[in-house]
Amino acid sequence: MAVWENKIELRDVSKTFYTKQSDVEVLKDDSLNVRENEFLVLLGPGQCGKTVLLNIIAGLEQESGGSITFTGGRPKMGDLGIVFQKYALYPWKTVMSNVEMGPQMKGIDQSTRRKNAQKYIDLVGLTNFEKSYPQQLSGGMKQRVGIARAYATESDIMLMDEPFGALDAQTRYSMQEEILKIWEKRKRTVIFVTNNLEEAVYLGDRIILLGGKPTSVKKEYVPDIPRPRKYTDTAFLALRNEIADNTDLSL
Amino acid sequence: MMKAGVQNKLYYLLPVLSVLTLMIVWVILAAQDGSLIPTPYETLSRFLGIMANPISQATLPLHVWVSLRRVLLAFVAAILLGVSLGVMFGWNETFNSFIYPIFELLRPIPPIAWIPLVILWFGIGEFPKIFIVFIGSFMPIVLNTHSGITSIDPLLIKAGQALGANRTQLLFHVALPATIPAILAGIKTALSSGWMCVIAAEMIVAKQGVGFLIVRGQESGDTALIVTCMLVIGIVNAMISFTLTRLEGVLCPWQFGKTK
Repeated sequence: MAVWENKIELRDVSKTFYTKQSDVEVLKDDSLNVRENEFLVLLGPGQCGKTVLLNIIAGLEQESGGSITFTGGRPKMGDLGIVFQKYALYPWKTVMSNVEMGPQMKGIDQSTRRKNAQKYIDLVGLTNFEKSYPQQLSGGMKQRVGIARAYATESDIMLMDEPFGALDAQTRYSMQEEILKIWEKRKRTVIFVTNNLEEAVYLGDRIILLGGKPTSVKKEYVPDIPRPRKYTDTAFLALRNEIADNTDLSL
Repeated sequence: MMKAGVQNKLYYLLPVLSVLTLMIVWVILAAQDGSLIPTPYETLSRFLGIMANPISQATLPLHVWVSLRRVLLAFVAAILLGVSLGVMFGWNETFNSFIYPIFELLRPIPPIAWIPLVILWFGIGEFPKIFIVFIGSFMPIVLNTHSGITSIDPLLIKAGQALGANRTQLLFHVALPATIPAILAGIKTALSSGWMCVIAAEMIVAKQGVGFLIVRGQESGDTALIVTCMLVIGIVNAMISFTLTRLEGVLCPWQFGKTK
């Protein structure tokens, strides 16, 4: 096995929201390492604070305690690729304009950023849809735009917040296949958040199981199953059941 | 169940019938003894009359143009100032909490109630009429812009930040485009309201314009002229709405699905 290099280290990260009624402790002393170019899955039930954890890594929210260290320093805003569950595409921008927006905000000239954006539009299989508006696309295609947009930031870290949560089951399967293909072609450090057990086992190099209130890291799993994995494989099912027994997914 | 074909034909036929009924009622009412309603024929010939023979040195198209010009001038100012103000209300919390209460106090006053004061201030030239229209169209534009910019999906803002947009970029790439549909809705309301205001202002004091013309009809007991003006006012308003709806399609193509 290769020597893994840590990309991101979280030490005792806590988050408490202070509201008028009460203080809500969402995360408590969460520590984990994210390794370079791995596909890391954070698995936890709905409303468990996975998104908060991701937002803290992204710098969209401030942790209440603990520390987050990036090898090479914390990336600036715009230097992290984020894929949102609800796509968060701009309806008035075409596919091309959505994808090139990150580089555009950094003031990169149009021809350079178009060429790059085109590369990622082709990568996610949306060639010839450059001029379409998001509204004209299906859910799966919209999320492909979201993925291309995250890649176009040229970040080596990709944060994906239940990216397939809004898709129907069939599209979801094909997108899971697709995201691995994309990732294998262009390796990035991926942190993929999901509440779907099968999705976690299908995708992850490592799976971090989160649970409890406030949320903490419960266990780490390393699926020793070669890709492409099959949902009906015995090893797949064994791991699935092992995680299921350990989890409070069904709330 | 009725056959679909028959039903469809019925839906085409009913509007025709409804207009026809109105015309018949009109003719019957106009035919009564001592009626103060002109017949459709009288109205049409009155219409053709003012197309050719000027009243107060202007034929009908010129009167319409005089009114429209007032509306358009006021309108350009109302859009520029209204959109800027609405955006500032939505984008700058300090500005909002300081200025918005004043705006809320003035807002419920109908624009027409300003007419006497505006005449005292600015006399009876072009400017006071334009000013009244401005008041009438400014308010809906500010309100719509404000409500549009404050109801943007926070996720779109968050995504913009994640893509590295600074505050100015967020305003121009995210907030403003997201607000365009609301601004256009405000503009639509504003144009109708502005058109109403100009008629009202002209009815009180003017030498030309559709509002002046309709009052002239009242003064000379010329009911055909009054009805002609009413129809023209309605038609112009409908044409304005139609143009704006088309404009919406040009300005926000993403709202209307297919493009080439």
